Amino acid sequence: MQRDVVAEVLKHPKYQELVKRRTRVSMSFFGLTLLIYAGFILTMAYLPEVFAQPLGTTWTMSVGLFVGLLVACSAVILIALYTYFSNKVFDPLLAAIMRDVQ
Amino acid sequence: MNKLLWGALLALAAPAAFAETGHGANTEAIVMFLLFIAGTMGITWWAARKTQTTSDFYTAGGGISGFQNGLAIAGDYISAASFLGIAGMVYVSGYYGVIYAIGFLFGWPVVMFLVAERLRNLGRYNFADVTAFRLEQTPVRILAASASLLIIALYLIAQMVGAGKLIVLLFGIEYKFAVVIIGALMMIYVFFGGMTATTWVQIIKAVLMLAGGTLLSALVLYAFNFSPDAMLAEAVTVHPYAEELMSPGEAVTSNPLNALSLGLALAFGTAGLPHILMRFFTVSSAQEARKSVIWASSFIGYFYILTFIIGFGAIALLVRHPEFFHGGLDGSFNMLTDLIGGTNMAAVHLSNAVGGSLLLGFLAAVTFATIVAVVAGLALAGAASIAHDLYANVIARGRSTEKQEMRISKISILVLGVLSILLGIIFEDQNVAFMVGLAFAIAASANFPVLVLSISWRGCTTRGAVMGGFIGLLVATVWVVLSKTVWVDVFGNAEPIIPFPNPGIVSIPLAFIAIWFFSITDRTARAERERDAFDALTVRSQTGIGRSGAVAH
Repeated sequence: MQRDVVAEVLKHPKYQELVKRRTRVSMSFFGLTLLIYAGFILTMAYLPEVFAQPLGTTWTMSVGLFVGLLVACSAVILIALYTYFSNKVFDPLLAAIMRDVQ
Repeated sequence: MNKLLWGALLALAAPAAFAETGHGANTEAIVMFLLFIAGTMGITWWAARKTQTTSDFYTAGGGISGFQNGLAIAGDYISAASFLGIAGMVYVSGYYGVIYAIGFLFGWPVVMFLVAERLRNLGRYNFADVTAFRLEQTPVRILAASASLLIIALYLIAQMVGAGKLIVLLFGIEYKFAVVIIGALMMIYVFFGGMTATTWVQIIKAVLMLAGGTLLSALVLYAFNFSPDAMLAEAVTVHPYAEELMSPGEAVTSNPLNALSLGLALAFGTAGLPHILMRFFTVSSAQEARKSVIWASSFIGYFYILTFIIGFGAIALLVRHPEFFHGGLDGSFNMLTDLIGGTNMAAVHLSNAVGGSLLLGFLAAVTFATIVAVVAGLALAGAASIAHDLYANVIARGRSTEKQEMRISKISILVLGVLSILLGIIFEDQNVAFMVGLAFAIAASANFPVLVLSISWRGCTTRGAVMGGFIGLLVATVWVVLSKTVWVDVFGNAEPIIPFPNPGIVSIPLAFIAIWFFSITDRTARAERERDAFDALTVRSQTGIGRSGAVAH
């Protein structure tokens, strides 16, 4: 019986849409994460002098430390945006599919 | 059972109170620690009555909310090693500590975008359920259990040794005794209360730690009129590295590949840590799993920012307190090498400097609690690997009853508890600094590639997963053993065989390539069946259909 549900879901037009869009969104977010993270690590490893500069003439805080804080915040912001997407777009789609097959 | 718990509590309380008279003891710390134990024993007693089935034992019956689980995950993640360790690293070399903090934090977007929700929809108790969903049970579970138990053992040793030393310093009790207390408390929580007790201990501890860290940072910033830059300016003036504190420094620039490699292992390791992944089965749905990640990453990110304030604050403020250093005859001291208890104690001394013995006591008690809680989570994940993977699904091949599996779990907890005490004592004087790094490298090179490809690539087969996973595991381990961290620092050889200590940049891609290669060349009928089963897996991972009460065998 469970086999039938799987087949039914697979045939459901909204299921294909859900899988396609969700994969695209999560892959884009993952790509963006990698870009930020790799950008940060590569800059630190190969252009350390960029990170060593102070933020301004009156500042002690360096560019690297400030960028580090922004990068840390970006991780949480990316996760929050993804959650927002999922709640607004994917959960309703999923609910519609579940209504039809059950 | 009630009586047993109180007996154990008394047995623990007596020697701790006795230690009050010993060297370095701190009355506030002991009182707060005893309060914490009393509170958590109450929780264990309550949880024990709710823990009847294996599902209760491993996953608290799936009844934890996303917010609670987020706190518990943050608790597991902000271990004493990462809190004191990162603060200590900032204290020694400033900016270098940032790489670790950001790497640990970036594990979370990876978990969120690649595994969290699918994990919840596909598994029951641990991540091996997910990899074994369409692949063959026996080999895949043996792989998962081998990697997981190795990770858990490394983590346990690092925690036990670090913790034991810390407790000697904070409470003035003997090292062996400290290790026994941690092991005994852990066994009580997990044995009686299972995941429910472990989770609540972790939640309470996370709240205490966040509160303590916030207070400590606020007091540090208060000393500089709430200007972080004034604090940094002072730090740069007093630290021997001066302006170098603000830049990536020698450790990174002398070997960029190593920094890159470390970054990879930190970011991808989280999605392969068995005790962290296990927490995703304690919530009721994929939505709640999502909420867990957002709460966990917010708390962890916030806590790391506090850790920086604490680390730089320690540089700026501790030099004003010669009593925290082993001074020379003329009162001079080196702030990096003479700190009492080593640089990992920077945060602890700082709490004494800005908040007096009350804050010191509070932080010491929370740190002790942290260690017990993290060790409990590790032991539970270890018990799941032994009882659920090796016993129930490999040895008994699914013919065991729930009662038998539960019994094996409880025996495993006792064995792991005793083992962790013994390992803690054996490794007392060993250099264990590499162990957490190696655990992350194995998680990123063995568990992570297998988990990700088995749920997102149709072509993945049992042969590919097992070959790739074991290759990742082997390469990461051999690499670390032949590198400076073990070959030179532990074995005492003159030159390392491998140029830099972090294997990630080689072992992670190698594992992925091996899974791909051994999968596409797999032409057996079994491989065909596994590829065909991918649609069913995707339906369930996307929708959660068939999850409730599903038995995958």
